[in-house]
Amino acid sequence: MTTNSSLLTSSSNYFEDFKVGQKIHHSRGTTVGEFENQTITKMVMNTADGHYNEHRMKNTAYGKRLVFGLVTGSLVVGLTTQDTAENALAELKLDKLRFLSPVFHGDSLTAYTEVLEKRNPDQEDAGIIRFKHWGVNQDGTVVFEGEREVLIKRKSHWGNK
Amino acid sequence: MTEVDFTQFEISEKGNKFEDFSEGQEFQHHWGRTITSGENGLFASTILAYTPIYTNNDYAKRHGYTGMVAHPLLVLCTVVGMSVEDLSEAGGPFLGVNDVNFHQPVYPGDTLYAKSTVISVRESASRPTHGIVTWKTQGRNQNDLLVIDYERTNLVSKRGSEAL
Repeated sequence: MTTNSSLLTSSSNYFEDFKVGQKIHHSRGTTVGEFENQTITKMVMNTADGHYNEHRMKNTAYGKRLVFGLVTGSLVVGLTTQDTAENALAELKLDKLRFLSPVFHGDSLTAYTEVLEKRNPDQEDAGIIRFKHWGVNQDGTVVFEGEREVLIKRKSHWGNK
Repeated sequence: MTEVDFTQFEISEKGNKFEDFSEGQEFQHHWGRTITSGENGLFASTILAYTPIYTNNDYAKRHGYTGMVAHPLLVLCTVVGMSVEDLSEAGGPFLGVNDVNFHQPVYPGDTLYAKSTVISVRESASRPTHGIVTWKTQGRNQNDLLVIDYERTNLVSKRGSEAL
């Protein structure tokens, strides 16, 4: 073994560090460009061309291509990841995913998280945290929300490994 | 030189409308998809998913896995993607996704298959040109092990009305 694993991730986001009710404004945002939406939508074989045919969409109420909702959802979860799941052992569950407002190429997303619940299963090395995430665009409109459960390492077990 | 009259070409329609769905109906979705190491790396980096079990093979092995794990959101996106033509391409936008469970890790090299059952079909009170359909979808790997399941609800347009 070369580098100690615990030196590769932050020491401030193990299971013990999260508090129920804790609210996090994730510091990095991202613009959703053609790269993100076109690459992921086509890579996962989402065949709906409303996500990738600009001129067909000109004749709809939206007037332009829509970002695939799960691209938005994935980017919002991604923006939360260093703070919420850098020390994860597994993603267990997503729930109540809602796509509240359309997202277009060029919009910028910021992510927010609240810690809803901590559970202590009979697992010595990790515990489960339930988060709620929100994704907000450059105008302050909430475009996405959802809940997520992550199995996160305990510092008591993994902190020096 | 003859000009081609493209109005004489028959459109190859895709997808289903509200009237095509009934409770209990089952769909085996098309194609299947092998998740490669390259697309997992591209996906995880693109969404900024800084969890080393998805991006560091050595680290994943030190944490009980046989190697780097495919990002669960890539698994969800791929299973949804394969279901779109049957379920939502001609219909309309997402309303929500509930109760997404990740049952098994997916590794690069694994192949995903998707199938769905119609759970409910109902009218939309606010949009008479559309209805609301809910499906339960399962993603299984090449060994027929359940890796993901979830419920998805969409607004689905009726015949003669546009999806969007």
